[in-house]
Amino acid sequence: MLLHLVKKDFLIVKKYVLIMLVAAIAIPPVMLWRAPEYGGVMGFILSVIFAVFMLLQYVSLKEYQCPKASALLCAAPYPRRLLVLSKYIFCMLIYAICCLIFGIETIVATQLGTLRLDALALMFLITAIVVGLYLPTQYKLGYEKTKFAFVVIIMASPVLTAALLKMDGMNFDTLLMAPPIFVYGGMILAGVVFLIISACLSIKFYNKVDLA
Amino acid sequence: MDNILEVSGLRKSYGNFALKDVAFSLPEGCITGFIGVNGAGKTTTLRTLLRLTDKEAGTIRFFGLDMEQNEKQIKDRLGIVLDDGCFYEELTLSEMKSIIAPAYTAWSERDFKQYMDMFSLDPKQKINTLSKGMRMKYALALALSHEAELLIMDEPTSGLDPLVRSQLLKILTDYMSKGGKGVFFSTHITSDLDKIADMLIMIDNGSIVFQEEKDALLDTYRIVKGDVRALTPDLRKLFLNISETAFGFTGITKQVAEVQRLLPDAMIERPTIEDIMLGNIERGNK
Repeated sequence: MLLHLVKKDFLIVKKYVLIMLVAAIAIPPVMLWRAPEYGGVMGFILSVIFAVFMLLQYVSLKEYQCPKASALLCAAPYPRRLLVLSKYIFCMLIYAICCLIFGIETIVATQLGTLRLDALALMFLITAIVVGLYLPTQYKLGYEKTKFAFVVIIMASPVLTAALLKMDGMNFDTLLMAPPIFVYGGMILAGVVFLIISACLSIKFYNKVDLA
Repeated sequence: MDNILEVSGLRKSYGNFALKDVAFSLPEGCITGFIGVNGAGKTTTLRTLLRLTDKEAGTIRFFGLDMEQNEKQIKDRLGIVLDDGCFYEELTLSEMKSIIAPAYTAWSERDFKQYMDMFSLDPKQKINTLSKGMRMKYALALALSHEAELLIMDEPTSGLDPLVRSQLLKILTDYMSKGGKGVFFSTHITSDLDKIADMLIMIDNGSIVFQEEKDALLDTYRIVKGDVRALTPDLRKLFLNISETAFGFTGITKQVAEVQRLLPDAMIERPTIEDIMLGNIERGNK
């Protein structure tokens, strides 16, 4: 049942899936060509952000445009819990596909570097945090308000990032001195825990939603 | 006859509208019409029954099972047709089916194909290119392809032309002929119910006004036409509503014998379901 709901998310944005696939393939080599200093992992990070969040946005838009379709699914024996979980799996599946694409690209084009565990772990954590914040917010506030809130956050992000970097006392040296397996394992574990907590909240919020 | 659905003490409020202790039951083997004007509470009741919205109080039992504890099992036995289809517009009929079908344990691909052929629907056609009538037929094909025991439909005939409406009524009659089934459909187009309903439930302003067998209901009420000058205050009390013109009055009553006794010259006619519905609404508004 869960996989059919994930398939549903891909189906309703099928027009954009191909575009995102092309983008995920093209971004790393294009970055390497146009800005070699940011090539490699930076291209991978951009491709993940682009593919995951654009497709999630499109799915949310389609659900917003056809609100009664969700009502029909919930009137069928699909539990609301699975409808929520399918969104998380959808995002993580896109992340995995991006990893696979970049992994193949690094084999074909060695200039892209190698796909290391640190990049995978860091990107997983970033994806988990953003998806983990976005989905419960959307289930609680609805598509329009969430879009507005995230536009504000994105617009404020350069200022926030600069402020964070200037903050005294931020020292990751101890963290970096720990064995890499613990650091990266910890990132993945933190991402998973964050996603589980987020999914529980999303399910709680969605169970209270009045469907059209 | 067993009850296929039992609802009692159902409450739900939205701003200035509320379902007030809604209670009714559907016997097996009946087509039950759920009537009321727009905004009476039909859709809210159906959505609450299907747990698309939370109830504030009350119990809902389908097939003798409590909805809260057996939701998945119950929904597996229901066929649902929501108003205007409720589909993802850009999908093809085949793609939409591939989303809905895996939810049902008894899904029959053979039945679905039969219905698609019967309704002349092309699986490759996009949903946003379907007419309103074709959407309703497609929704029915989905609802009837998993051996549903109770078909619940929200305003299925609204906006359909007479030909498609008559086809729908024929499909429902065929569905019921298989035995052990039930149909519960909300509508404000009561002429459809004149043809096929066995039982009628009327809701107005969030409260159930009546639940009766259609034929018994039609036998209970009468339309009376007569001279306005004969309308005494005592006589007026016998009517649910009265409309008066310079030529006479027309009223609807449940107390036929008493009216006939007081107005022996009055013309008595059999009402339609719409007459009874409007009479009850106007009485409620007095």
